[in-house]
Amino acid sequence: MRKFGMKRALLGAAIAALAMNAPAAHAATATGTATAKILRQITLTKTSDLQYATIISGATASTVAVSTAGGVTCGAGLTCTGTTAAGSFDVAGTSGAVVLVGGDSSVTLNGSLGGSMTSTLTYSAPNITLGATGGSFQIGGTLSVGANQASGDYSGTFNVTANYQ
Amino acid sequence: MFRFLKALGLSTAAALGAAAAPAHAAGDLLVAPTRVILDGSRGTEVVLNNIGSEPATYRISLEIKRMTAVGGLDEIAEENITPAERAALDMIVFSPRRVTLPPNQPQVVRVGVRVPEGTPAGEYRAHMLFRAVPDAVATNAAEAKPASTGVSIALTPIYGITIPVIVRVGDLGAEAAIGDAWVSEGAEGPAFNFDLSRTGGRSVYGDIEVTRPGVAEPLLVARGIAVYPEVAARTVSLRVPDDVAAKLKGPVRIRYSEDREIGGGTIDEAERIVK
Repeated sequence: MRKFGMKRALLGAAIAALAMNAPAAHAATATGTATAKILRQITLTKTSDLQYATIISGATASTVAVSTAGGVTCGAGLTCTGTTAAGSFDVAGTSGAVVLVGGDSSVTLNGSLGGSMTSTLTYSAPNITLGATGGSFQIGGTLSVGANQASGDYSGTFNVTANYQ
Repeated sequence: MFRFLKALGLSTAAALGAAAAPAHAAGDLLVAPTRVILDGSRGTEVVLNNIGSEPATYRISLEIKRMTAVGGLDEIAEENITPAERAALDMIVFSPRRVTLPPNQPQVVRVGVRVPEGTPAGEYRAHMLFRAVPDAVATNAAEAKPASTGVSIALTPIYGITIPVIVRVGDLGAEAAIGDAWVSEGAEGPAFNFDLSRTGGRSVYGDIEVTRPGVAEPLLVARGIAVYPEVAARTVSLRVPDDVAAKLKGPVRIRYSEDREIGGGTIDEAERIVK
C-alpha cells in the first residue's frame, strides 16, 4: 500500500518535472520559468452535529435547550438522557480573514411515527476572524416538546453558510 | 493527467489535514478563490474540492444577499429582488451547476459574464453558493440511535460556502471613511467596533489594521472587510479576546487598506481614542 502511494507520488513528481522542463526546451538560451498561482481558499468542515439526545416527554409542554457551548437545560416535566452536543463547524482560510456566519433561525422536525416539533437555532457569533489555524462556530438551539409528544425518531434539516464578503 | 491531478488533490488534502480537524464529514468542502471580480468581458474559474471522506454531490447556485447596517448579509428571496439584482443574476453565467465528486477530487467551475448592451454603469453582484445537496448528507441522519422509549432527534445541517461575484460596468469610483470606534461587552465576550461609511458607485473592500502609536506589532488585523453599495455605512464588529479588548482601549490608529493583491493602498486612516 505504501509502495503504491510512493509510486503515485513519484509519477506525479515526474509529470511535474516534465511540465516544468517543457518551456525550457522551446527556448534553449533562456532559463526555464515556472509559474504558479496560489488562490485564497476557504474550507468548511463539520466537526459535530447538534444533538438533543433522547427525550422522554411529559404531561405538559416544555423545552430542551442546548447552548452553543453544548450544555443542556432540560425543561420541567421532561427526562433527558444521552449526550447532548452543540453543532460545530471549522472554517479555515487566510489568516485574519473575517467570515460571516449565517443560517436558518428555526427548523421543523418530523417524527417517524407522526407528529412534529420545532427548534429555534442560535449561532455562537455573526462573524469570525480566522487565526493562523482557522476558526470555528457553534450552533445551539431550543426544542419545543409538546405535551405527551408522540415517541419516535424525529429528523429535520437546516441551512448553514459561511460567507465571504 | 488524471493521476497527476489526483496526486495534486491528495497533497493538497494532506496539507489541509495538518491544519484542520482530522475527521471530515460527507459534504465538507473547499472553495478558492474567495471573491470574484469581473470587468465585463473576461471570465474566470473557481475551484471546488470535496474535502470530506465520502463522495458528495454539490449544487452551485447564485443568490442575492444584501448587506445590513451591522455588516451581516441577508439572503433575499427571488420574488423580492430589484431589477438591478435581477440583472446581476442574468449576466453571470457558470457551469457546472451540479457535480458529484469523490473525496479529494477538485472541480473547476467556469464563471463568465454577459453584459447586455445598454446596461447602466454600476456594480452588479450575486453570491455564488456551493453546498452539498441533502441526498449526500442524509446518510448522517441515519446514524441517530432508535429510542426504545421517548423521542430521539437527528438534526442535519445542509452547509455551504458563499463567495461574492461582482461585475463592474463602466468607470466606477468609491471612497470610505472610518467613524467612531469603541469596545463593547456582549454575552459571548468583548468586541471591537467601528463605523465605516462609503460614497461612490461601487463597493469598497480591504483590510483593517489597528495599531498603537509607538508599538510595532498591530493590536488587531482583520482582512476582507467590505461595504457594499446598498449601504452608505455599516458597523464593523469583531469579537476579540479579553486581553486584546483591554489593550485596544486608548489611542489607536485604524488603517483601512485595499487588498494586498491590488497593491494595499490606503483607503482611509484615522486616529481614535477607543473607550
